[in-house]
Amino acid sequence: MEFNGCNKSRKDHPYKQACEQVLEELNCDFVGLALQNSNGPDVSWHYAAGNRNDKYKRITVRYGKGIAGKVISTGRSMKIEDFPNNILGKALEYPIMLAENLSYAFAVPIQLKGVLKGVLLVGNRTNQPISESDQHTILDAAKKLEKELNNSI
Amino acid sequence: MNTQPLKKNISSYIIQTHEEEIKRIAMELHEGVGQSLYSLFTGMQLIEKAIEQPAMKSYAGDMNQLLEKTIQEIRLLALELHPPSLTTLGLVSAMKSYINLYTSTYGIEVGVENLGVESQISDRDSITLFRVCQEALVNIARYADTTKASIIFKWKKSRLLIMIKDSGKGFEVETAMNKLSGLAAMSERMHLIGGKCIIYSKIDEGTSIEISLPLY
Repeated sequence: MEFNGCNKSRKDHPYKQACEQVLEELNCDFVGLALQNSNGPDVSWHYAAGNRNDKYKRITVRYGKGIAGKVISTGRSMKIEDFPNNILGKALEYPIMLAENLSYAFAVPIQLKGVLKGVLLVGNRTNQPISESDQHTILDAAKKLEKELNNSI
Repeated sequence: MNTQPLKKNISSYIIQTHEEEIKRIAMELHEGVGQSLYSLFTGMQLIEKAIEQPAMKSYAGDMNQLLEKTIQEIRLLALELHPPSLTTLGLVSAMKSYINLYTSTYGIEVGVENLGVESQISDRDSITLFRVCQEALVNIARYADTTKASIIFKWKKSRLLIMIKDSGKGFEVETAMNKLSGLAAMSERMHLIGGKCIIYSKIDEGTSIEISLPLY
């Protein structure tokens, strides 16, 4: 499976639908799925729901940079609570937060064939946090996406 | 006799020294650390080929990949710090290259127009113009909430005019000038090289920044 751009083929539909389902279930403002490109270490946003514009389609972050790059490189979930205040580094290092005007974000890693390859991010444009139980829903959604992505490779 | 140095001279000296230091670090990273890592990378490739044990071969392969990633990181870091094309290819080329990186980082598309014939300008003026344009674009990414922007270079015989526009949410210039040090720094940097930076903005109607520099 190639992850080199925003392919609008029918094959992509389940991932977009999965993002929309999470958005609806959690009543949050934004859900995005980022995947590491197959031809290099860079990470791009491929699918989104609740997006205000199409900037996410053009955003590519380096491995280890931005929320997506950091989650993939560390393999751990990441939370940003009051963007752009109290963050590690500069606000400019978080392009998806700027593009979607997010204040709160929770991002979890996704594995492909046992290797960290993607990120599912859920965000709010207010400081409204994501509850503990909703965080479990996100982790479940990430596991479901993992299965679908692994089956499609 | 006045023995106090002028404030303008001090600012100019600090900015110039800062830029020289950035350039030195960028060069050191690219030519020094980057080259050494590349030598290690080619050496590791040879070792990987010579290894016969599959487990060790795979381990060497992983190390090679890590080295390759690190070399790419160093190159990009050096490029971000100081664009080498600014000296070799000129301001417009360096800006075009920066804009490609900018669009792929922030998702904002920037239209570039170059009108007239590009004149040769000093290294000091080039880096100042580059930094001011960079600051304007970074402010668009951070505050304007827009998907598109444009930059126009107008080269005339006696003057270079650069216009950076967006149709984002705009701001009150006077209030922002007092609050955001980046905007004031843009004007100050231009003032130090004998140029001007004028900022127009209206809430909900976007922002336009005009930079001009006399050419001799």
